[in-house]
Amino acid sequence: MEILKNVDGGTLCLSVSGRLDNTTAPELEAHKEALTGITSLILDFTNLEYVSSAGLRVLLTFQKIMNKQGSMTIKNVSPDVMEIIDITGFSDILTIE
Amino acid sequence: MLDDHSKYLLSEYKERLNIYKKVKEIVVKELYGIISELKMMVNSVEARIKTEKSLSGKLELKGYKYKKIEDITDLVGARVVTFYSDEVDKIAALVEKKFIIDWDNSIDKRKMYDVNQFGYMSLHFICKIPKELYYDEAMPEINETPFEIQIKTTLQHAWATIHHDTGYKNDIEVPREYLRGLNRLAGILELADEEFKNIRTSLNEYRKKVTAIVKSGKYEDAELNGDTFKAYIETGVYDALNKKIAEIGDIEIVEVSLLRFLTVFKLLGFTTLKDVDDMRKKYQDAAYQFALSSLGGKDIDIISSSTGILALCSVYIIAQGYGEIGIKKMYETLYGERKSNDYSAKRAVEIANKIGLLNKD
Repeated sequence: MEILKNVDGGTLCLSVSGRLDNTTAPELEAHKEALTGITSLILDFTNLEYVSSAGLRVLLTFQKIMNKQGSMTIKNVSPDVMEIIDITGFSDILTIE
Repeated sequence: MLDDHSKYLLSEYKERLNIYKKVKEIVVKELYGIISELKMMVNSVEARIKTEKSLSGKLELKGYKYKKIEDITDLVGARVVTFYSDEVDKIAALVEKKFIIDWDNSIDKRKMYDVNQFGYMSLHFICKIPKELYYDEAMPEINETPFEIQIKTTLQHAWATIHHDTGYKNDIEVPREYLRGLNRLAGILELADEEFKNIRTSLNEYRKKVTAIVKSGKYEDAELNGDTFKAYIETGVYDALNKKIAEIGDIEIVEVSLLRFLTVFKLLGFTTLKDVDDMRKKYQDAAYQFALSSLGGKDIDIISSSTGILALCSVYIIAQGYGEIGIKKMYETLYGERKSNDYSAKRAVEIANKIGLLNKD
């Protein structure tokens, strides 16, 4: 998995590619520290192929943090990843564009 | 041009600005405390210290009326704007308990009109801060400083603001035609305030009744709306299905609001809670099979509490023959237009085929 980070004022964009699974989820979670002072978090999943439960848990953690300090949006979700988000009911937790 | 006495009062005002600031701070804090104690939502709580310019204007017109600075009672002013007319009295009752009220100068303008008169309706208290509430040896003037609290409804406030905007300080200055128009409006707004209060009271009674109906299980008597559906969800009616799905593995359930599914039920033409409950009873086994098949092999150990109801809606829509178009419409209703809705709809129909849902009914 690869994560590209781009900060523009209060906006943080994380572009995640590859597989977000048990092995790689801690890598994304490590960016939790970077959320301090951020009011808009954008997760770009253009090149994300798969998300596991561990990945969903990190997204849930980020969403809870951003609920308190701003907003979080997930963009460019592939059909395979979207299917997992839908069947787990995470569409009712996450904001997906 | 100010006379010497007015100039003296103005200099007293300038010297006491820090006291007014402290009084304002205490009053605002206590007003918020009162609102919180009443568990009430109000439109606004505002406070201000009279500006030097405004005071100068007042002194120029009637400075002779005030012997000392404490005789000017609106140097610090606070205003609570409520939503409903009966809330004015509830707040007033606690203001009376909290502060020392100068009854000679306080006015309940709601009671000063004759039965055939309409106009500015508001409650104005002139108060002081009692020592039991706040006392600072270094600033004893805090307890000697009068201040004004206005309590009024949103509509009364709107009327007063627009009336003030006409620029007239006194009704006798207003041309008769406009004054008649303003007073006619005051009458309408008084009626509207009363109606808002009645609607609020009826709605509260309705919600109590709805909760009782839902608890009794008489779903055929419950029209499907936000209140009935909320009460229905709160009975934990979808918990069993979610738990059963979670038992597929050691799956954690994250609680989310299910209220947005009301729009799907409305879309399906359901009119009572009975329709919603009949659907749950008839399709919960199929929904479980659907969720089982969807989640199977995906190594999932976390779901949200909407998984069960989403599976229920999916199998119902497919069983009714609405197919991919119906599922896509459901996703659009729930989550808006997304690129993935077509794919999700296609997958749902594939899963329904896999569990043999389309061969039933």
